[in-house]
This record gives sequence, structure tokens and C-alpha cells, in this order.
Amino acid sequence: MSRLSTESELNTLRETLVSARQTIVKSITMCGGTGCQASGCKAVVEAVKAELAKKELADDVDLKVTGCHGFCEQGPLMVIEPGNIFYCHVSPEDAAEIVETTIVGGEAVERLLYTDPGTGEVAKTESQIPFYAAQDQVLIGRNKQLDPQSIEDYIAGGGYKALAKVLAQANPEAVIDEVKTSGLRGRGGGGFPTGRKWESCRAAANGQGRYVICNADEGDPGAYMDRSILEGNPHSVIEGMIIGAYAIDSNQGAMYIRNEYPLALKHSQVAIEQARQYGLLGDNILGSGFSFDVEIARGAGAFVCGESTALMASLEGKVGEPSPKDIHTTEKGLWDRPTNLNNVETWANIPGIIDNGGEWFAAKGTKTSTGTKVFALTGQVKNTGLVEVPMGTSIRTVVFDIGGGAPEGGKVKAVQTGGPSGGCLPVSKFNLKIDFDTLDKAGSMVGSGGMVVMDEKTCMVDVAKYFLEFLQDESCGKCVPCRVGVDRMLEIVTDISQGRGRPEHLDLLEELGETIAETSLCALGKTAPNPVLSTLKYFRKEYEAHINDGQCPAGVCRELISYKIDPDKCNGCGLCAKACPHDVISGEKKQPHTIDQEICTKCGICHDTCKFDAAIVV
Amino acid sequence: MQEFVQISLDGALVSATKGNTVLDTALAYGTCIPHLCHMPNFTALGACRLCIVEVVKNGRAKVTTSCTLEVQEGMVVLTNSDKIRRLRKNIAEMLVAEAPNSKAIQDIAVRCGVKNVRYSFRNNNCVLCGRCVRVCGEMWQAKAIGFVGRGKQRQVDFPFGEKPSFCKMCLSCVDLCPMTITPCDGPMKTGEEYFCGKCESQLSMNEDWSDSCAQCNLGKGFGCARSEGCSA
Repeated sequence: MSRLSTESELNTLRETLVSARQTIVKSITMCGGTGCQASGCKAVVEAVKAELAKKELADDVDLKVTGCHGFCEQGPLMVIEPGNIFYCHVSPEDAAEIVETTIVGGEAVERLLYTDPGTGEVAKTESQIPFYAAQDQVLIGRNKQLDPQSIEDYIAGGGYKALAKVLAQANPEAVIDEVKTSGLRGRGGGGFPTGRKWESCRAAANGQGRYVICNADEGDPGAYMDRSILEGNPHSVIEGMIIGAYAIDSNQGAMYIRNEYPLALKHSQVAIEQARQYGLLGDNILGSGFSFDVEIARGAGAFVCGESTALMASLEGKVGEPSPKDIHTTEKGLWDRPTNLNNVETWANIPGIIDNGGEWFAAKGTKTSTGTKVFALTGQVKNTGLVEVPMGTSIRTVVFDIGGGAPEGGKVKAVQTGGPSGGCLPVSKFNLKIDFDTLDKAGSMVGSGGMVVMDEKTCMVDVAKYFLEFLQDESCGKCVPCRVGVDRMLEIVTDISQGRGRPEHLDLLEELGETIAETSLCALGKTAPNPVLSTLKYFRKEYEAHINDGQCPAGVCRELISYKIDPDKCNGCGLCAKACPHDVISGEKKQPHTIDQEICTKCGICHDTCKFDAAIVV
Repeated sequence: MQEFVQISLDGALVSATKGNTVLDTALAYGTCIPHLCHMPNFTALGACRLCIVEVVKNGRAKVTTSCTLEVQEGMVVLTNSDKIRRLRKNIAEMLVAEAPNSKAIQDIAVRCGVKNVRYSFRNNNCVLCGRCVRVCGEMWQAKAIGFVGRGKQRQVDFPFGEKPSFCKMCLSCVDLCPMTITPCDGPMKTGEEYFCGKCESQLSMNEDWSDSCAQCNLGKGFGCARSEGCSA
């Protein structure tokens, strides 16, 4: 591995790498993303490796462990070339059969293929699966092609071409113009136009010493798109940062990665080392005279540190608390220097925009929200995983066509977009297009891209309570509206969920929500009332049922429900009585049982144990 | 040399010293903007959010705190619009419910138009305005006290909970604390939770007021002690 000092040396290296790779035609690509690691892909890789060695095929087959492919529900995932055969739920025991039948024999192993639960159709390749068919995987798609710890893989696939192009043109303003043409907006939640941010940072009259920062402090419950990009394709982020640094004239960058992402940290570290060895980071990059380096900082676990000013305070070694933004960070940010901070996904989009042109990016999505966006689809939905769709795709497409709707027996009720400070949208709003402005108007937001699907068994008051608890816990406590206001909101919502609600509480919640949203110091506070305000807007009836009728329609809020045994259904098997931790269920054998309501703690174990659905919630 | 900029303050064109904040400018001109965490010549914290104002730019009004906002040429500021009064009242209501027996906070609540409180009282001894922390760190360079914890657990404390040797017991922190003024024996006893509306506007034992008074609209509605012309 030697330092590259010109663009042509990079091109030569790429050609050598590509031609070396053409000799191996058979390959096994194993998804090594977080989801698949949890379902045991490491053991599968070991088993396949051993099997290949046994068959003396190790040199003829390219076994690659890549980043996340997106279809986490079906993991561990495996793709085999030739044939682009897609296997799901692969276990170590399947290794022998896969090598024997598919690698040697060239036939697919029928039982490992994906079967559509709705139609029963068997899909042989990814493109035949509805989950993948409706997506446009620009970023996630590249995860599948490369080993995240190999810069050679990235270069062979056209990596660092965009950087070489930018450096050869030697026109930073043109780079900013290209990004502006693309219409790219910040993927971290704010949706601020990236080109304009770069421009104002470059224009900041503060002189030399600008910084670029990659914000990888992704902390939304259920969201893991930034994690998957850093784990699966760290070089795309680094290349984006170098290009951005060149455009705004910065020589120092930082990646703020949360410490709870060990794999993302490791892969980013490896990627930075490799880029330095090739001279793609450091002094005089590709002989252009431009120097830039990146350091990694680890976040210590505060959700609020995803907010730009808090993140910069944390980088300076101070307590991670936001500060007022009357002067933008592009003028006075880290160490009081002009600082350009973008999210992981924003940076990862940059090389593609430079490579293919801003027009190419702007052609995807809607007029005001261009390009594709990765969403983490979770909750009560069949196909959980990472979904990448063009902006402007309807919620219905994502939840039903790609996500497959609710699991058996369920019915989708709402979707919560934008993480804890986003809002809940009911099924009646599912025709809305997912873009920054539309969701904002509907009282929710795109945010960083979390999407939690909820079914009929979810109580919206309980959901609002859950998110308020999260936000109250994660509030830094600096300003009054967020610290006290969110806490008071939680107090009121808790009162409602426990049957102490009063009709005037709803107006108070709305008034309090407006105050918090308008007067909080940072974006965490400004968006904190969203879960309550959006559920109040679309599910006001549920709140009213809690307050006026003392009932929880979804049967979730413990204080408002009780468990009863339906005498018609109960056959007196006694299972519930045995399971009850408080011994409150009594009854003769083969006679209907009863629950002593005075002692019952409503834990719901009887409901879960009963095989005849006799223990019911009333 | 001092430079000046022109700003519009509630419709009046005033000349403000460049580098000053909107809050300091307004106070100097006798326009009272209620505030708690602000102290002249100390770093603006922006924590209490009481000093919010509306800044109109290109026809769009934005709510922001005046203590953190530097004056700029041509800036249009509204300190007492309907929206600001409503939001400020809500913040003051939250604050007074946290510390109902602090005279300073009661004063602020009254000045912001709070008549009754919709939340249960909490009786905290501290509202985390950070006056003590900043006087200790910025004036005396001691940093003997600071904020500890996050969110609901946030509190002012010594490092690791023990009084350090570099705390010289100067008690500046106590002087500037809004909780240290002796409460009057009138309102806010159990069962008598109301405000008499006759409060002075004193934030701490160590407080200066500017000599001028614009008889601003804020004084209407409560007996502003500074000007009889304001009493309703």
C-alpha cells in the first residue's frame, strides 16, 4: 500500500484492483450489519469458511462480510453470485448444503429462499421481493458491494473518484454550486439546505481555521440508519467530508460517534487509517496542495449531544449542553470558529452528487425535498429493517408495500415518524408524501428517519407518555420550558393515563405545548411537545375516553382496565391460577374461574397464559 | 470608540450601543422585560426564557431570548406583544409552581400576569437560574459551585458534593440568589394560593435598576412600584 500522489495513480490503482477482481466469478456476500449479527451471522460465516476450506474452494470463492442490506427481519442474509441468489434466515447448519448445492452445483436451496407470506410466492433474487422492489437503494445498495474494512473494495467500486474530480477542477465554489443544484437537505432532522450551509460557512469572515464535523450521535429509539452507513460504508462518509472541507476551505474535521456503536467506531477508525496510508487524508491530498485530516470523538451517551451546539461543547471537553443559536455555528461554532456540521447520511450522499451531478440527485424525490432518504422501519410491521425510498413516497407505500403491514391478526393504526420528537400520524393520513414540508405541516417531521408503526393494541396516550418520559430523561435541564414544561406535560399525561385526568387538561396540554415549542433553547425542547400535540390532534377521542369515561380503548393503561374471566369460554383448566403470581384466581376444577379484583395487580399474565382467550380485558 | 446602531423597540426608534444585548438596551431605556437568570456583565445563559421578545425579520416574527440577542442595525423588536405576554405568562406560571414561596419569583409571576397556577406546587429551593454559578466562576474565578446532573436531576452543587478549599465563603452566590429575599407573609399559604399584585420588582438582594422609566405597557395590570402612572 503506497501513497497516491496524483489522480492518475488513483485511476491506475482502481484499474488494477478491478481486473484482479474479475478473475473470481463466484462470491458469497454475507450481511454483517447489526441486525444480522444479532441473529447470528458470525457463526454462519465461520461455518461457510470451514466448509469452503474443506472443499478446497477457499481461493475460488470470494467470501465477503458486508454492512447492512436493510432486510433485518429476515436475517442473517446471504447473496450468492452468479445468479444473485438471495437466502434469508441462514443458520450455520445450512453451510454445507449451500456450498454443495449452490456454489458447486449452481442450484438454489429452495428452503432458504424468501417466501412471500401473503402470496406464498418464492423469490430467488432480491428484485423479486416486494420489500426491495419498491425501494431505491442508493446508499444502502452500496453497502452490499463492499467489505467496510477494505478501502480497496471502495476504490474498485469507483470510490474517491468524486474527490479526485473535485481536486482536479480546483474550484471550491463550483462544488458548492453542485450541491446547491442537487437540492440536498440535511438528513439529521433539521432539513436545512446543505449547499447554503456550506456557502455561509465559506463566507464567514472569521478567517482561517474552519472545521467540518460529522454528526454520528444517532440516539433516536429504533433508528439505526447512520449506524448502518458508518458500519457498512465508512469511506463514503469520509470522502464526503473531504469534499466538503475542500469546498468550505477547512483543514480539520471531526467525527462525533456515539460510544454505543462499537462497530461503527471500529470501521470508521480503520477507514481513516487506510485513507491516511493512501494519502487521501493528510497533507497534500493527491498532489493538490490541499490538506485535511479527520479525528474521531466518542459521544458519552447524552441524547442532547446530537444537537449541534451541544455536540460542539462536548467536543471542546465541556458539558454537552446546547447554547443559544442567535449567531449560527457556521459563523461561530467549535472553538468559536466557523464550523460546518452535517449528519452521516448527508455526508454519504455527497460523493454520489459530485460523481453523477446535482441534476441526477435533484431528479429523485420532490421539488423541495430531493434525493432518497433511509428510514428505519420498526414496530408492529411485518418487514422491519432499513428502507431507502425517494422523498415524496407515500407513507402507505412504505408501511404496506415495503413493510407488509401489521403482523398477523393486527391492524395498523398509526405511524410515528421522526424519532421521539416527531409526531404520530393516523392511517387516514397515510396518503401523505414523506418529505420535509408535508410532514412538518401535518404536525410530524421527517427527522432523522425513524418510523415506528403502531397497531390497534397501542394506546396513543401511553405512546405520548413513553416519548415524554424519554425526552424528560434526556433533556439537559438548562432551560425552563424544556426541563419544567416537559416534566409538567408528563405529569398531566400520567394523570390522564391513570384516570385522574380532567377535561381542562387537554387545553392546558395544548397551551403548554405551544409555550415549550416556541420558547425552548434548542431543537430538543422545540420539538418535544410533538408526540403529545400530534396525538391530541389525531387521537383526541382516546384522550377523552380516558378522561370522561375512565376507559382505555386499547386496553393498555393499567389503572383503567381490569381482567375478567369469561365464564362461557373458561373450561376450568387452571393454567391461569397456576401462573398468577399473586394467587388471586380461584375456582373448582373444570368450573369457570374468577379473579379477585381487590388484589389483582393487572399484570396480564393470565391473559397471556389462557389458551381459550377466556381472560379478557374490560 | 463606542458605535451605535438604530433599533426599533416596541415601535420607538432608539440608539443602542453596538455589542450590547437587546435586554440591556431595553432596560437602559426603561422598558422592563421580565428576566431572572440575566445579570449585567455576566455571560448570558438563556436559561429562564422569561426575557423572550419577538424579532421581526422580512415580515416573519421569531421568538428568542433578548439576553442572548445582540443588537443589529435595523432590528425590529417587540417586547410586549400578545403572543409574548401569553408565552411569558406560561413560563412564569411554571416557575412559580416550582418555587411558590420565593418572593422574587412571585414578583415575576405577578408582573407576567399570572393570577392563578394550574400546576401542583413543588416547593423547590432552587430554580436553576445559574446566577450563583456564574458569579462564582466569572467574577471570582473560583468555580466552587457548578451544575451537576441532567434534566430533572440537575442541581447546583460543589464538586463531588464537598465544599472545596477554594470556596472562600464570600457568599456572593447568596447575595445574587432569587430565593434569599425574605418572603412577605401575605400570599401563597396553603389554602390561600393567590398573588396580591402589590409586589416590588426586586430579583435579589443585589439589584440595580436604571433610573429611567418608559412607563411601559408591562406595568399595566399590576401595581408597578416604579411608576404610579402605570398602575391600573
